[in-house]
Amino acid sequence: MTGINLLEVKRGTVTAPAGCGKTHLIADAIIREKPSKPILVLTHTNAGVAALRGRLEKAGVPTNAYRLSTIDGWAMRLISTFPKRSDADPKILKLENPKTDYPNIRVAAARMLKAGHGLDVIASTYSRLFVDEYQDCNIPQHAIVYYMAPAFPTCVLGDPMQAIFDFQGKLADWDEHVCKHFPLAGELSTPWRWKNAGEEGFGQWLLDVRKELLAGNTIDLSKVHANVSWINTSGKDAHERRLAACRTKAPNENGSVLIIGESTSPQAQRQFASQTPGATAVESVDLRDLVSFARTLDLKSTKALDQVVDFAEDVMTNVGGTGLLKRVETLKTERNRKPASDLEGAAIRFSENPTFAGVRELLGAMGEQAGVRSHRPGILRGCIRALQMAEAQGGPSFQEAAVTVREQSRALGRPLPRRAVGSTLLLKGLEADVSVILNAADLNRRNLYVAMTRGSRRLVICSGSNVLKPS
Amino acid sequence: MGPGDVGKSSILDAIDLCLGARRNAQFTDADFNNLDVEQPISITITIGELDDSLKSMETYGNYLRGCNVEAQTIEDEPEKNCETVLTIRLTVAGDLEPVWTLVSERAAAQSQSRNLNWSDRVRLSPTRIGALTDYNLAWRRGSVLNKLSEERADTSAALVKAAREARSAFGDQADSQLGETLSIVATTAQELGIPVGDKLKAMLDVHAASFSGGTVSLHGETGIPLKSLGLGSTRLLIAGLQRKAAKEATIILVDELEHGLEPHRIIRLIGSLGAKEKSPPLQAFLTTHSPVAVRELNGDQLFVVRQSEGTHSATVLGTEDEIQGTIRSFPDAFLAKSVIICEGASEVGFLRGLDNADVAKGEPSLTALGVALVDAGGCDHIYKRANAFYRLNYRVCVFRDDDKQPDPATEKAFTDQGNSLFKWRAGRALEDELFLSLTDEAVVKLLLRAVELHGEELIEAHIDSESGGKLKLADCKSDLTTEKREILAKAARRKKNSWFKTVGWMEGVAEDIVAPDRDADEGFWGIVEPVYDWINES
Repeated sequence: MTGINLLEVKRGTVTAPAGCGKTHLIADAIIREKPSKPILVLTHTNAGVAALRGRLEKAGVPTNAYRLSTIDGWAMRLISTFPKRSDADPKILKLENPKTDYPNIRVAAARMLKAGHGLDVIASTYSRLFVDEYQDCNIPQHAIVYYMAPAFPTCVLGDPMQAIFDFQGKLADWDEHVCKHFPLAGELSTPWRWKNAGEEGFGQWLLDVRKELLAGNTIDLSKVHANVSWINTSGKDAHERRLAACRTKAPNENGSVLIIGESTSPQAQRQFASQTPGATAVESVDLRDLVSFARTLDLKSTKALDQVVDFAEDVMTNVGGTGLLKRVETLKTERNRKPASDLEGAAIRFSENPTFAGVRELLGAMGEQAGVRSHRPGILRGCIRALQMAEAQGGPSFQEAAVTVREQSRALGRPLPRRAVGSTLLLKGLEADVSVILNAADLNRRNLYVAMTRGSRRLVICSGSNVLKPS
Repeated sequence: MGPGDVGKSSILDAIDLCLGARRNAQFTDADFNNLDVEQPISITITIGELDDSLKSMETYGNYLRGCNVEAQTIEDEPEKNCETVLTIRLTVAGDLEPVWTLVSERAAAQSQSRNLNWSDRVRLSPTRIGALTDYNLAWRRGSVLNKLSEERADTSAALVKAAREARSAFGDQADSQLGETLSIVATTAQELGIPVGDKLKAMLDVHAASFSGGTVSLHGETGIPLKSLGLGSTRLLIAGLQRKAAKEATIILVDELEHGLEPHRIIRLIGSLGAKEKSPPLQAFLTTHSPVAVRELNGDQLFVVRQSEGTHSATVLGTEDEIQGTIRSFPDAFLAKSVIICEGASEVGFLRGLDNADVAKGEPSLTALGVALVDAGGCDHIYKRANAFYRLNYRVCVFRDDDKQPDPATEKAFTDQGNSLFKWRAGRALEDELFLSLTDEAVVKLLLRAVELHGEELIEAHIDSESGGKLKLADCKSDLTTEKREILAKAARRKKNSWFKTVGWMEGVAEDIVAPDRDADEGFWGIVEPVYDWINES
């Protein structure tokens, strides 16, 4: 192994470049400790919790040996258990105004821990603390961990080169805050993910690239590892070349491909997903398009059918919505020469008697049309489930159902499709055999590093220049 | 400690009911204060020094509280400078159903309620050494033997085997003894066409020969069950075992700890409970009426239980020198209701002697009236001792000489609080009163007693010295003028070799000479009698 024993770290930081066995290290420590009390494991996001839980279960870690939570979830737990000591307005726990409530929750939890309240209780409850993905901690979250650390041995793990959530508020600086408060205990240096795939050389090359990026150097795409290819997108056929890159085959059987597009344009990502056979888009955890469809769909409106068709076009390819709407008009005025198809029948029934069951039937009929496939199955499947809940007698409203579905999927995590299109933010922490970067020049050095390390066998980089100068 | 019926055992009962691992407990209307079932019974106990599992945020997070040990207050949430504690409450309302809950304002605000986990209740459950101690000498549920280690005897297989063997050993014996009945049953069955086979058998019933588990108990080398040991030995053994099991169960309740024990075994019991250890291994709640037990304990381990106006309180004696010294020399005083602080040994002896005479006449004794005599050890110590008892809510009075006076302000403060003071007439010590107040006959007896105790030579020398050579012992046996009496009193109370200044000597004098001397000076009896009035008011 790497020679780092997390159980020996009383207070420290472990730097863990991508794919170097960080989760394995945590799992191994939990298994070996066999504590009478569970280990508290915190991470950054609900998706991170779901992913880590899945991996720990896979590694055979007994579930009673650890407690897994997000830092924010943990902060809420502390505040609700010790309301007076945290001196927080109890309303913030309802999260009615997440934008202000979350920061207030963090401040309140840090304040309580700073004063030293509850530390003995925490020490009695948990044997030690691991915090994963520490690079994504903002300063109030870092304060929570810092002030809690006197209670028990604390080890934080992360990689400053993968800190890409900095747009959400100032992150704790790796050198200034993290390593100062939690001295560096070691750095993982074996590229296990690549080694396990029989591509250790490629993994080692990525570690070298990480060093270059960390040092602020450029990357020369004409001198890359054999597993890496550069697609020149400086010409007029850039889009076609990118589409070709999207179709890159994995070298192994049933291999998976992650396609990384522009973070700023989900629309562009979906376009690539719809134009690439077999590709689907990775959705953000808030399933925004599902929730907004549920909120705006008005069955009583004359535009209800149009709304459903618009939604269908958004999540499926080749729906032919305009044609369908026209046919419905024709059929309704009985100017038809051709009898109505199943789909058209469903559409007419819906327009005459708009129900949630009708929406579901209509979406189902569309999906069965030849040549139609969903490139956003996350939204479509979620919508079908929400509709099922909403159409039940005495069930929730469609909007409530959509929120329930969102929260469920937040907790469950996302199943990774074989060929997925997303952004670094959406794909961080996910792994595949092949990684395809559609706009390498647009990525800063940390996003670039995250993007480059998603695939364990091959890397395809689309760029207009053969030298990457990430900011 | 405290007088009988003051509620000592009820306190032990309350602890037992609140913390004991019971699924249920029997209550009746008579358990309610004044039989008022509308007012629920409520027993609330806060426990500290929590171990990890009791302090677990996951299990008891919403119920953990903070105890400010210095300020003696409990806050609803743990605090940095407070000890983290749990509060357990047993409530019994009119339906007589006991309900155990953890107390937490914040949990109540969220309509949450819970009790300790069963396993934690079992761990906390106090061991009670009461009348029925046999229980703890067998491996029964909750017995101290089961708390000593994780070992358990597997009896089931052995018992089943034994049952089978008994059955086969008994065999067909019953057949011959029950032959007639068997043949009647067989015939009837045949007549009715019930198939029972050709021959009916009488055999030992398997169920009758089975034993319930948990009947493994302690036996001595000779096979005699240990529960046949004497009461004291049994209790001593169980207390000792409890000490060994302290890691698991830290609370022990012993009612009347001296029950069945000689003084040296009382001391051993107290020692075995860890009373003398720097960090006590157990929390023991003991009631006692034994001065031996009181003397063995420290002032901060002794609590006096008092009842007033329907409220019971337990006050710690404290560790001030005055208290600590009194515990060592007059432990029985703390077990009394009323205490007379006597200036010195002779006052103690004097009152005792008069008491002996009363008892001989068939009157109740001082002790029967719950009065204890304490020797203050000199005029300067009187009020230190008296106030110590007064602060602990004892009924106190002072009985002193007047040849030397204590600080008048201190004395005034004492009497201003309604306490009684008895003293000899101005400037007089006990000897002055005796030689000046008693009849001639009695004074002569005093002289004879002095000679008897100390020899003629010494008494002669004292008289000679006090009278400046004017008087001889023989002169003092008749024609007892005030002058002579004064000289005798001075001679009797000389600092060195005073005639009667021990408890025993003065006790004898008071019993044999003073008590019968009813014709003594009225002023003298006018001081002594109020003391007895005070005693009789107890």
